[in-house]
Amino acid sequence: MILRALRAEMLKLWKRPATWVTVGLFTLITFADVLDDYRDALKDPEVSFFLPEAWSRILGEEVMIGFIFASVLVILLVAAEFSWRTARQNVIDGLSKTQWYWAKVLLLPVVAALFLVLRVVVGGSFALAGTDLSSGRAVMGGPQFAALGGMYLTGLGYACLALFVSAAVRSSGPAMAVWFAWFAFGERLLVGGLGSLFQGLRPALKWAPVSTFNRLNDYLRYDPEALRQAVEWATRHDRPVPQVEALGPAVAGTALWIAALLLTGWWSYRRRDL
Amino acid sequence: MTDPGDSPVIQTFDLRKRYRRTTAVDGISFRVDAGQVFGFLGPNGAGKTTTIGLLLGIISPTAGRFELFGGSSARDLHSARRRMGATLETPNFYPYLSGRDNLRIVAGVKHRDRAEIERVLDLVGLGRRAKQKFKAYSLGMKQRLALAATMLGDPELIILDEPANGLDPEGMREIREIIRGLAERGKTIFLSSHMLWEVERTCTHVAIIQNGRIVRQQSVADVTSHGVAGLRAADPAALAAAVAEYPAARWVRQRGDRVVAELEDGDLAALNAWLARRGVHLSHLALEARSLEDVFMEATGVGELAPAATDALPGPVRHRLGEVP
Ligand SMILES: Nc1ncnc2c1ncn2[C@@H]1O[C@H](COP(=O)(O)OP(=O)(O)O)[C@@H](O)[C@H]1O
Ligand SMILES: [Mg+2]
Repeated sequence: MILRALRAEMLKLWKRPATWVTVGLFTLITFADVLDDYRDALKDPEVSFFLPEAWSRILGEEVMIGFIFASVLVILLVAAEFSWRTARQNVIDGLSKTQWYWAKVLLLPVVAALFLVLRVVVGGSFALAGTDLSSGRAVMGGPQFAALGGMYLTGLGYACLALFVSAAVRSSGPAMAVWFAWFAFGERLLVGGLGSLFQGLRPALKWAPVSTFNRLNDYLRYDPEALRQAVEWATRHDRPVPQVEALGPAVAGTALWIAALLLTGWWSYRRRDL
Repeated sequence: MTDPGDSPVIQTFDLRKRYRRTTAVDGISFRVDAGQVFGFLGPNGAGKTTTIGLLLGIISPTAGRFELFGGSSARDLHSARRRMGATLETPNFYPYLSGRDNLRIVAGVKHRDRAEIERVLDLVGLGRRAKQKFKAYSLGMKQRLALAATMLGDPELIILDEPANGLDPEGMREIREIIRGLAERGKTIFLSSHMLWEVERTCTHVAIIQNGRIVRQQSVADVTSHGVAGLRAADPAALAAAVAEYPAARWVRQRGDRVVAELEDGDLAALNAWLARRGVHLSHLALEARSLEDVFMEATGVGELAPAATDALPGPVRHRLGEVP
């Protein structure tokens, strides 16, 4: 059942022009971004762009751009099924509503991975070109895998939020608008507003979904050596010293949000007529 | 093929669906038996789509209940859906996928293999256009693809919501041929339509729905076995007015230079004598088979279902017994 559902979702993903448009656009943007880093490295002897050091730049905050693309693609794939009424037809053809919803959930890890892998491949190949492979140092190690794992969780969080909005709004354009409004300013406005009204809520408000996801999107928390260098650099240049918090609560918070979004999304989808 | 003693394939009990402003389905009870081609006839907005949506489990009823293949629990209904194929409103497919890929999706849901996709594509005559994207299909092709999708899995019951809607006469004829083919293979077919003659030509049974209620339900053969009187005279308007006064006339209608009336007793001689006494002399008087149109007018008081319904008529619809598939 799960395999069948996944195969159908993959067929739709593969044949959908929007997939290739988002992938192509993101590849271009990533390429331009990494090219910029590479040029900096050529100009400034203090900045290096070879592996494994370059991972701190490749897996920097910009990874989030990939997750924005992933969210857009999830919305295009899921919300459109309501406009085309294929969400309805799938159920008429014999899928239960539960099966339909969880088939969409299967799509999320694939889409999130797609954009993270693209970033790694495009950025990594650039840096690999400047890397002296004969030095015998591994181009990728524990800290990078940890970072990829954490960031993948961030991507899943974004994708789940996109699915939640798609299933609630049921139309691509408006769903995109709602998702983007929440991501760009909605969450901050709401947190700011609630925080000034109820002072006591402030610690909890720091755990709003997007800001929770973004906590895992900081390379320095996975790579002690990179953190040491960043601190040293900041001290030398009289800049604010980067701080990292414990990983556990951020992972737990993200996992909880993912579960909450998937379950409430399912509940609200099931309650309504198709 | 029609066996009234059979267990019902579809049965509804006082089914209702209320929306905030409208009551779309207002207490509907009907029964469809195995092998019937059941026409669900009513004007636009009568509640046909809502009723089918209720049966398909994608709209939840406000009240009432229904059974499919004799079962009504969630589990029964889920397994019943494996024995049926259905379309609702418009053909619903992925526009960017080809006809064949769309059927692959449906086949995946229904656990069917590729060979069957080719079989149903050929059945509806889309074999050579299967590579084309759905969005490039004409409306007729879309409707045929929807029919192909319902046939995947060789279901016992096929539910079609206005399968010929928006098609030209040629397209309608094609769809009708396919439906007849299915009926000949013993499938139970439930189809909704706002077009009288589509139901008259395709169906063995009919339920007429108006404003969310069923106003008439019978077999098409029954409809037409009760005769009506067809009359002609020099002044048809005066004739219609005179017949309207006749005590045994249930209803009277003028159609061009002809007047049609249903008589309680069916006694043409008595009518003729009564008219003659009033100085109305007939040039023609005969017992004619009643058409579904007569029944519809009688049941609903509506002269026409929709302009399109009669525009598309290829000449006057005269129903002859034995023409029903
Ligand atoms: N989702 C809905 N919300 C509100 N009213 C609806 C909805 N669906 C249908 N209706 C109303 O219910 C009535 C029956 O509609 P429908 O079942 O589509 O009729 P038909 O298929 O016979 O044309 C119409 O008056 C329609 O406006
Ligand atoms: Mg309808």
